[in-house]
Amino acid sequence: MLHPRNRQISNLVVAEVSDMAYTISAPPHKKERITFSSMNWSKIVALVPVSLIAIYFFGIPALEIILAAVIAAVLTEYGIQMIFKQNVTVKDGHAAMIGLMFALLTPPEAPIWLPVVGGFFAIAIGKHAFGGIGSYIFNPVLVSWVFVRSAWSGFMTPASIPHIGPVSDILLESGAGLLVGVSPIALIGGVYLIYKRYVEWRVPLTFFLTVFFFNQAIAFVTEIVQLVQEGVLNPLLYLATMFTFLELTEELSYAMIGVVIFGILFLSTDSPTTPITKAGRLIYGVGCGVLVSIYGYFGNYVDGTLYGIFLANGIASFLESRTIPGSFGQESLLERSYKRVVARLPPGLRSEVVSDD
Amino acid sequence: MESKRLKKIPQKVIIPLKQHLGTICEPLVKKGDQVLIGQKIGRSVSYYSSDVHSSVCGEVLAIENAPHPNGNKVLSVIIQTTESMETVDFVPTENTSQEKLISLMQEAGIVEHYGAPTHTVLMPEDKKIDIVLINSTASEWIGGKYKTPKEYASQMMDALKLLMKAAGASKGAIIVRKDDKESIEAFEDVEVNGKALKVAPLVGKRRLGYYFRDQDSNIIVASQKRIYGKKILNFFTYNVTGRKVGIGCDPTDVGVAVCSIKSAKALYDAVYEGRPYYETVITVEGTVDCPEYMLIRIGTPFKDIIESCNSEGEVAKIVANGVITGVAQYTDEVPVTKGTTRITLLTKEEVLRDESLACIHCARCVDICPVSLVPSRLTVLADQGRFDECRQMHIENCIECGRCAVVCPSKIHVLQLIRYAKNAIEGAYADAAPKESSNLKLGCCGGE
Repeated sequence: MLHPRNRQISNLVVAEVSDMAYTISAPPHKKERITFSSMNWSKIVALVPVSLIAIYFFGIPALEIILAAVIAAVLTEYGIQMIFKQNVTVKDGHAAMIGLMFALLTPPEAPIWLPVVGGFFAIAIGKHAFGGIGSYIFNPVLVSWVFVRSAWSGFMTPASIPHIGPVSDILLESGAGLLVGVSPIALIGGVYLIYKRYVEWRVPLTFFLTVFFFNQAIAFVTEIVQLVQEGVLNPLLYLATMFTFLELTEELSYAMIGVVIFGILFLSTDSPTTPITKAGRLIYGVGCGVLVSIYGYFGNYVDGTLYGIFLANGIASFLESRTIPGSFGQESLLERSYKRVVARLPPGLRSEVVSDD
Repeated sequence: MESKRLKKIPQKVIIPLKQHLGTICEPLVKKGDQVLIGQKIGRSVSYYSSDVHSSVCGEVLAIENAPHPNGNKVLSVIIQTTESMETVDFVPTENTSQEKLISLMQEAGIVEHYGAPTHTVLMPEDKKIDIVLINSTASEWIGGKYKTPKEYASQMMDALKLLMKAAGASKGAIIVRKDDKESIEAFEDVEVNGKALKVAPLVGKRRLGYYFRDQDSNIIVASQKRIYGKKILNFFTYNVTGRKVGIGCDPTDVGVAVCSIKSAKALYDAVYEGRPYYETVITVEGTVDCPEYMLIRIGTPFKDIIESCNSEGEVAKIVANGVITGVAQYTDEVPVTKGTTRITLLTKEEVLRDESLACIHCARCVDICPVSLVPSRLTVLADQGRFDECRQMHIENCIECGRCAVVCPSKIHVLQLIRYAKNAIEGAYADAAPKESSNLKLGCCGGE
């Protein structure tokens, strides 16, 4: 079978009739301007500020790492597509984007060959061995990162794990261990991409909320358990534990760091590795958040984010096939059970239930 | 605002003898005959057909196959026009019994814009209609033929009463679009049976049934958000009345007749003025310099409309019936038919030249689909010929609005692949014996 990318469907037939020539083609005749290529380049542009701050902060080594990873990724893609006689798709920016993302997850002290290996591995194994664009199941950046982290963990261990102390850390994090950690606020471009619909919103939103409230939930459960152990019977005391959700916990300052924001806005939203159904994406976002938080709570949020999203990629296709929407007008499980409950209520208690015919 | 006619009558008109779904008409004229405006030139030979009338005065040049805007060639009457504006005598109808109205509709050549003859929608064989809907959500036809909005509203009410009578239905409703302020204002406080009506918004579970009781009237006006697409009738019926139409069925199976505002107006004209359906209002858009709505004689070639509208000159693509799902024309010698609603002219720069890439699972098609399908997955399944799986994913619900193909960043031919699978499924299951296929139930009303 031909690979989809090699199957050029000729869209246009120009019919010569009498003296006038009109183009004919299948509908739609007007489409949105957004393309795969523009999506990739927009992500690269959104990552430029954080790269510049990293270069300013870490100096020339950061620039070398970024250039090495990007060039290695692009050359690998070009080479593979030449060898296997595919269309060369270097121009769509996907390889460059993967290289840049890998570079941002590297510590500045790493030797120069490390990002080269990383960029190569991401494209060769992470992307093309799994079938190329749209077919890979694990985010190529994370595949490569996990490989390099395991193989040369000495070089890949960051010098320090950042956490947000003073407010100025949001602007410029002095404890950054990876290139991307230098400035959480510089990743704000990702939010703009969501606003412009270049990136969908369900995964990042639920992911962020889960990470944000995970620590409060842990604190809440701990307090309840403590009350039970003390044998407290007063229900008001149990109710009062609800207020823990209003207090920001200490752990939150470890969670809101550059790598986590990068994971939420750029890694988890890589479209081939997320479910396509609406419900599936909401659950996937929560799943990412829970995995990342568990890792982060008991370990650190730098490794936790990357391993967490990598694991969540593994359940994406399962979530997708379990959440295929039904026919329109079909009642969901929730609606059915709600109706069953309402039917048993005495008529006086029911709010007005409107039915047709 | 009144719609404009073309500055001059076209030299030659092409009137297809088949402007509807069903059997083609039999020509009543022959080469060399003189015809008048409104003269019947094609007679229907079965119930599923609708008569065709001349829209101009002149001489029949030929009866031959000519291009049709749907892309095929159809037997057409070609008429050389003269300056004369002579019409046949239009006789308003006094007697409006049900049978009379149905036969009048067939004789006046009234068809829906998607092709079904209106009388077959109102009186289908072996089915009983109890609600008649006029769908005016897709066309701002208020700009079409009326001097004031009130005139439009009162005429539509009269037309609805006629349609209900013809169908023998007890209830009727006019559905306007939620954001179409002009129409909503026109229908606000319109009098029906001595009672003023409010335009009822269809939100949540409040559908027509609720408002029929609420307003205590058998005729109401409701508003809902815009739905467009090639196959919207079933979805529209569900949204408005709450009645779910089975797969492979149409709204008449659940007792609902959906008429367009054009056919309602045509019926009104046919009954009160005696005029058959030989003119229609269309929109011309793109690089044009003309009013938004044009009153066009059926059979006018696109060429004449382009000449009178397009001041810029360059036209690289002509699209009939909208840029999302319309058909691109290979020649400008195609006529306006009863099913033409819109002509779009595109310049050379606007013509798309893109290439399909692999799906990147961005889910933009899933987010935009109005009937909650998963177009990207259906596309893959259709491409591989796995039609059974397409069927399990409710591919028949697709209303063919084409928005999935519009938003696709990989420029995949989503609409075409889904249509391909739908056609294949129709073909495969049309005559399968019910017992042999255990995993699916056939027939309309026993449906899944």
